[in-house]
Amino acid sequence: MFYFTDSLRSLAASMRNVFRRPTTVEFPAVRRPRPARYRASFALLHDEAGDELCVGCKACERICPSEIISVELLKKESPVTGKKRAYASDFVLDSNACIYCELCVQVCPTDAIVMVKTPEEPAYHRQSLVLTMERLYENEKHRPLSWANATLLAEMQAPESKGATKVAESE
Amino acid sequence: MEMTSSVARGRRRANPYLDLESYDPEADLMVLNLGPQHPSTHGVFRLKLYLDGEIIVKVVPFVGYLHRGVEKLCEKLTMVQLVPIFDKNDYVSPMMNEQSLVMAFEALLGVEVPRRARYLRTVLAELQRIASHLLWLGAFAMDLGGALGGGATLFMYCFRERELILDVFEELTGCRFHYNTHIIGGNRHDVPAGWAAKVHSALNVIEPRLSEYESFLIVNDIYIERTRGVGIVDGALAMELGITGPVLRAGGVDHDLRRDAPYHCYDEIDVRVATAEAGDCEARASVRIAEMRESIRLVRALIDGIPEGPLGARKPIKTPLAEKATEGHSYAAVESPRGELGVYVVGGGDNRGASPYRLKIRSPSLHVLGCLPYILPGHSVSDAVAVLGSVDPIMGEVDR
Amino acid sequence: MNPWLRGLLYALLITNVFLTITAWSIWFERKFSGRMQSRLGPTFYGPWGLLQPVVDGIKLIQKESLIPASADKLLFVVAPPLTVVLALGTAAVIPFSSDIIAADLDIGVLYLLALGSLTIIPVWMSGWSSNNKYAMLGAMRAVAQGVSYEIPLVLASLVPVVLAGSMSLSDIVRFQIKNGWFAFWPPGPGFFAFLFFLPASLAEANRIPFDIPEAESELIAGVSTEYTGMGFGLLYLAEYLHTLVISAVASVLFFGGWDGPFAPGLHWMVLKTLGLFAGIFWVRWSLVRFRSDQLMSICWRYLVPGGLILVMSAGLWVHFTRGGG
Repeated sequence: MFYFTDSLRSLAASMRNVFRRPTTVEFPAVRRPRPARYRASFALLHDEAGDELCVGCKACERICPSEIISVELLKKESPVTGKKRAYASDFVLDSNACIYCELCVQVCPTDAIVMVKTPEEPAYHRQSLVLTMERLYENEKHRPLSWANATLLAEMQAPESKGATKVAESE
Repeated sequence: MEMTSSVARGRRRANPYLDLESYDPEADLMVLNLGPQHPSTHGVFRLKLYLDGEIIVKVVPFVGYLHRGVEKLCEKLTMVQLVPIFDKNDYVSPMMNEQSLVMAFEALLGVEVPRRARYLRTVLAELQRIASHLLWLGAFAMDLGGALGGGATLFMYCFRERELILDVFEELTGCRFHYNTHIIGGNRHDVPAGWAAKVHSALNVIEPRLSEYESFLIVNDIYIERTRGVGIVDGALAMELGITGPVLRAGGVDHDLRRDAPYHCYDEIDVRVATAEAGDCEARASVRIAEMRESIRLVRALIDGIPEGPLGARKPIKTPLAEKATEGHSYAAVESPRGELGVYVVGGGDNRGASPYRLKIRSPSLHVLGCLPYILPGHSVSDAVAVLGSVDPIMGEVDR
Repeated sequence: MNPWLRGLLYALLITNVFLTITAWSIWFERKFSGRMQSRLGPTFYGPWGLLQPVVDGIKLIQKESLIPASADKLLFVVAPPLTVVLALGTAAVIPFSSDIIAADLDIGVLYLLALGSLTIIPVWMSGWSSNNKYAMLGAMRAVAQGVSYEIPLVLASLVPVVLAGSMSLSDIVRFQIKNGWFAFWPPGPGFFAFLFFLPASLAEANRIPFDIPEAESELIAGVSTEYTGMGFGLLYLAEYLHTLVISAVASVLFFGGWDGPFAPGLHWMVLKTLGLFAGIFWVRWSLVRFRSDQLMSICWRYLVPGGLILVMSAGLWVHFTRGGG
């Protein structure tokens, strides 16, 4: 029957909170800093020489649980080295159905596909969220890349590795 | 597993198959659907109530509104691809889902998980338990006190604390929710530099706030009146229906998979299991809050001692057909925040054995919902909502 | 001045002032509750989100007002404005300062209690006419609660009447100016009468912890389940208006109205009303609600006998300090 005294305790608890700093982050004016491993969208990479890393092997297409990647293989001469090698002539990733599982990043043999830390902008049409090859290479230039790629992930998981990752992650 | 005297106390148990014609010919029974669209049925769940005034006479639950065909999907995808899909089963505690699935596959394939990975899985499971119980506490307060009112205040507080744990997971895996951080044979993501310090700072904020929540709600007389003696699930009823988890322990039965059938690294530490006698909503809530404190204690004891060693027993995944099992069957269960979450897998399916032939999910919330027709009659509609909040069903795993 | 003109001007003044304060009380509530929940309230429209009520009003007006096909159309449409009218009507007898009062009735308290009990009817009308089981459950609970809590409300309001010896609200304030506010003097009857008045009036206004009729987690929105657009807006507004009126009445009956330590006047009345108003919000956002049978048991087992004892003790006090009357 001590409704009053107990209620006073609840009232005190909520009033104590009025004087704390609110935890709201006023998105989108203010953005929270994301850790290095954050996964939000995708990018395809070039190597140091400027040649595309993707060899069109379709490993990511096979592993994807949501079946959203489709890759076309093409063998042609490289504009950088001059030698004939495998490329992806078309790479489409439908991020409408992506579950952000990072398995495509895990299996890539050439570290070509990685994730990026900022998500795609909201759009009015589903078509705008289907990432074509141009958009994936654009993301490489304009968006911060996530820390993980296939080699680093394999290093973490391989039976020969010991202890914590040596890669220092800033930000 | 010892039974206490709650069985001997002979709790009231209603007849769920009550024949309404024989109930009372004078009574004017009203059918109220606590229907699939409702602010407080914890997902899409239909509870058909037969009311005599405000008192419930008979309860018929309907499930299946969130059926997504997960078990059928498991026959099509390979074992390596299934882990991210399985996150979404009990969507509030994804670590538990992943762990039960990979444990079942590891038992099927005979893979031994290295100690570092097992230890890390223990820590992640306990952190996930804290996060899940914080969500439960917020939702329970909303059921009791209203989406505009004291309940909403506690909801915001709980989610503010839960953000800290999700930030910790974000540091480790890259995703705040639905992580896909387990693989057959180990974990996918290793501990980054400074992670233990972040966990400690998160727990140092959460533990005093738990005491604040107790003073806000748990010792409040209004809350005690709402939850004491409401929806009593005694140990015998829980065992008959296959209920596990906090609902079972609140009925007096001392059974916890972490202590009685240890997995991961639980055999190396002493898990203190919380039980209560009464079996009502208040007991279930106190068991869950005690579990939260116990999880905080466990994480604090474990986090600084992660052993050195490899993180995985198999080579890193390169194709979906990496793991094949052409025969055999296995069952593995974890103690999820709702009870025993188990996966039974029979090997030898499509893709030359890379997919399971059959995968059955033993979900704790489905069994818990079975107790509703036994315990709700005799209470009023407000109590039905309070009981539903305190047993914490997650429709994702009920309907799969 | 022509009494009809005077009445009309007062009606316009009170309606506008009260409705404006009510509209901005929505802003205040969202900001205050946000701060209690460790978040900011509205910040987007206007500085500090001050234009939020305007935007909310526009949103509600432009929504389609649906009337269910099987609803009782007349009752459904009439109920929300009737709630607002009754809540505003009680403001007619409240003395805002020594010369600002719309109608200085000799039976001010009786008028207040009568209109207060009438407010149950539109709530019930809206629930019944919706032809919806949730709304009907909410309406039945509202009627049970409202009718039961009338009695402690009457008994608690009787204590200032007995102590001051008059039912006119301005007389009660003048008595308090001379003899001290009733919430603090006489220490027994006055303070406890305030403590009984507050839950009783919260129950009349269907505020947490007594908001079973509109419990969002059990009955989707209680009596206002089927209402959309401005009908819902009026019901929502009426709840805040009722709360504002309760705060004003409590500050008149127990806290001395326009009295203050220095320079008595309208500003003290405003300060006390808004202070109590904020306190009611504070209570709303901190407590969980009672179940309906617990609500009833509190009323009949604790508040009614306690109220009777309070009235008797107030009478005894008057008898012994002023020798009968």
